[in-house]
Amino acid sequence: MKQKLIIISALVLLLALLAFMVKDFFFSKPDSINPYDLELNTIRNGDTALASYSETSQIKTSLDEIHGLATGTSGEILVSGKDGVEIFEATGILKNKFNIEGTAQCIAVSKNGSILLGMTDHIEIWNNNGKKLSQWNSCGADAVITSIATDGDNVFVADAGQKVVYHFDKIGKLISKIGQKDPATGVPGFIIPSPYFDLGISKDGNLWVVNPGRHSFEKYSFDGRLLSSWGIASMAMEGFCGCCNPSNFAFLHDSLFVTSEKAIERVKIYNPDGSFLCLVAAPAQFEEGTKGLDLAVDPDNRILLLDPVKKCVRIFELKKP
Amino acid sequence: MQNRRDFLNLLCRGTLLTGLAAASGVLVYRSVKEGQCKLGSSCNNCQKSDSCNLPEADLFRQTVWQLDPKKCIQCGRCAENCVMTPSAVKATHVYAMCGYCDLCGGYLKPDTKTISTAAENQLCPTSAIKRKFVEDPFYQYTIDEALCIGCAKCVKGCSAFGNGSLQLQVRHDRCKNCNQCSIARNCPSEAFSRVPANKPYLLQGIESKDENRG
Repeated sequence: MKQKLIIISALVLLLALLAFMVKDFFFSKPDSINPYDLELNTIRNGDTALASYSETSQIKTSLDEIHGLATGTSGEILVSGKDGVEIFEATGILKNKFNIEGTAQCIAVSKNGSILLGMTDHIEIWNNNGKKLSQWNSCGADAVITSIATDGDNVFVADAGQKVVYHFDKIGKLISKIGQKDPATGVPGFIIPSPYFDLGISKDGNLWVVNPGRHSFEKYSFDGRLLSSWGIASMAMEGFCGCCNPSNFAFLHDSLFVTSEKAIERVKIYNPDGSFLCLVAAPAQFEEGTKGLDLAVDPDNRILLLDPVKKCVRIFELKKP
Repeated sequence: MQNRRDFLNLLCRGTLLTGLAAASGVLVYRSVKEGQCKLGSSCNNCQKSDSCNLPEADLFRQTVWQLDPKKCIQCGRCAENCVMTPSAVKATHVYAMCGYCDLCGGYLKPDTKTISTAAENQLCPTSAIKRKFVEDPFYQYTIDEALCIGCAKCVKGCSAFGNGSLQLQVRHDRCKNCNQCSIARNCPSEAFSRVPANKPYLLQGIESKDENRG
């Protein structure tokens, strides 16, 4: 009797083992835990509460692709992109829209109200009504124009393709090239691993250019002398991350720098001396992989952010205490 | 009336028959699951595929396993499911795409405080990536394949923060080219496929045939 019980028990165990093997072979799913996983969620989701600004509104665009953002002389918001330019009132109401041939990667507005468009290898001048006023000479077959800044008399154009900044006068005559590597004058040269290369003119009348491969800002006089630089390469909040950042920047009214980055999508504000001041928008507020977050500041000191993935202009204002 | 011996014999025979039926069922199920060729079975499962003279087997022998970097989701299973130890899947560096950055997302941990070669700053769990200064501010990163386990941690870092120049590939100087690849069977994104043996690599960002190492 005892032996029979042992045999039956052994058979039951054998069948149970067989059933387990069948289940394991046919019905079990591969282990979803990755012991080698690179945790990026903490970076992407951890800083939303630290933002000192809040998003107050959005302006949707109807362009297929959007690349450039600028503010006009009376506060209007201009968006450039594939085959067109849209002009909005500060309230977000569409004021005008006109078609262009090609893609305007960047846009700027001069003091007389004319619109400068960066069309890959050349600059085009348009008026508010959509009339093309002039077209400047090509900067070369390898040119990739990514940013324009003007103070009325001087026009600076960033060329990511040839890693140089062009200094034009207001009618498009080339005055000089700025930022080419020159050990004699200490100019390190621009390092541009990907086509994000921004520049701007500060209130004190100097040219600031992002050197994205060095994760830094460089300050130049209009005659091309390197005056100073700042920037920290770091994934941490106070630094610029990835292979080439910041991708874009603009000046707030009090000469603060507002910067945007790709890879870790975030918008931050820095003091004029380069020290980190505060976060405007955290990575969690963007779709993963968003690039080309162009920036502008309107007369009310609101931060305008171009979001190419959501196809809108996002407006950020300082949180009220 | 059966005695105890007859009862046990019957029980053993029944168990054996059940086992045989289950084994047959398993073979039939796997054959159907993997797809059928004109011969009624798949070369992937056929143990004679190495010596078979039929055209299908000849074609099968001229292909090798490779993973498509576009489909890879850096799940880490290449490190653990290969029959080789360490895995025949290795990180491969497409230098044409690399930015030669100082702050390399494939080399450094995201939370690293200082940019240095210190072990605690390195993303790779086996320190298989070597960093070498080229000229200011460029650094070259090379893979020590003997140390690389194919975990894809560097690939994920490079994709997230850089240009995506680090990519996983099956290295054919190590791969046993198993009929049924153990990694392919467990790959959640179905990134593995058989590719022609004369074009065995599927690196992204390389246009020239000459650079596609054979």
